[in-house]
Amino acid sequence: MTSPQRRDERGAAASTASPVASPCISVCRIEPASGLCEGCLRTIDEIAGWGTLSDDARRKVWDAIDERRAQRAARPQAGSDVRAAGRHR
Amino acid sequence: MKPLPASLRFIERDWLSSNQIVGIDGERATIVDTGYATRAATTVDLVTRALAGTGATPARIVNTHLHSDHCGGNRALVDAFGCTITIPEASADVVAQWDESRLSFAATGQHCPRFACDATIRPGDTLRLGGLDWNVHAAPGHDPDSVILHCERERLLISADALWETGFGIVFPEIDGESGFDEQHAVLDLIERLGVERVLPGHGALFDDVHGALARARARLESMRSDPQRHARHALKVLVKFMLLDVARIREDALHERAHAAVVMRSAARQAGMDYAQALKWATDSLVGQGLLRREGVELVDV
Repeated sequence: MTSPQRRDERGAAASTASPVASPCISVCRIEPASGLCEGCLRTIDEIAGWGTLSDDARRKVWDAIDERRAQRAARPQAGSDVRAAGRHR
Repeated sequence: MKPLPASLRFIERDWLSSNQIVGIDGERATIVDTGYATRAATTVDLVTRALAGTGATPARIVNTHLHSDHCGGNRALVDAFGCTITIPEASADVVAQWDESRLSFAATGQHCPRFACDATIRPGDTLRLGGLDWNVHAAPGHDPDSVILHCERERLLISADALWETGFGIVFPEIDGESGFDEQHAVLDLIERLGVERVLPGHGALFDDVHGALARARARLESMRSDPQRHARHALKVLVKFMLLDVARIREDALHERAHAAVVMRSAARQAGMDYAQALKWATDSLVGQGLLRREGVELVDV
């Protein structure tokens, strides 16, 4: 899985770089329960539409990802978890 | 950034799967390039979402070239939608026979589910996609049979792996001891002549600074051409990293086993002047050093 530092670097870069970097970390598996990609925590619509989003819209997606990650960190996880070690494909 | 024509969609993926370009023609959509096999379920979902509300379903796949990251989703899309497959004519025989020794998949340590070709395109043809006419141009260099698609009217280029915002794909023929750098040089010149204002690349973001991308690509090509061993070493790293993007983590000995039959990787090692085991170790050490892979005990882990 992507190290927290690398995710954070790309998230931080999102605020200044143009075009805003894709959050994809090559997991590319949508979790049925949440409808989010297990790797990058985007919805399928956010992924499908990313290619033509403006930089501002992309930054909003990054903000949403950060919020989703924070929400997950705040609750106990029963099932699949993007923080789980030993991710297998 | 000005919007794409309403009849086109650009689905940006990553370095394991190619991007998808989707063209809508009434109820029929064309998907250009289909990503990697192990992410095919997501490719099907993304294409479905991209077409939601349009009334169109995928009727045709077009592959720009037959690398596993560009045609790996073919079978899954055919299973899901019953679409046809169009490939470059130069690749028709090898696909009809599914000659693994001539297909690129096993040779690069990758895999791709078998598919059949229903139609072909060749340089000089015009393809109708998304209500627009696209001229088919040969783009050898990265792959001898690759094509790129140019829409003159909208000044758009579907560039496959011939040109990305920050480079282009490995010049594989050179790894096999055949000419490729000259061909890649000619493709960059062609792209400049075509008068392109926006590129829809095989990987990475779509971009409008075509002039800048060409300048960067030319500089990169010259540095590879001036040091073919460096190009070979780069190819090794790219192919090892690709494996790790796919599997996420792998025991180092299992990586060596998986790479055993990858003849292109062996050629790259030979060209780089290294014995194969040494070359794989060098590539993984180098990727670890760059923070692109991590070691955890005996395992390599994608970062």
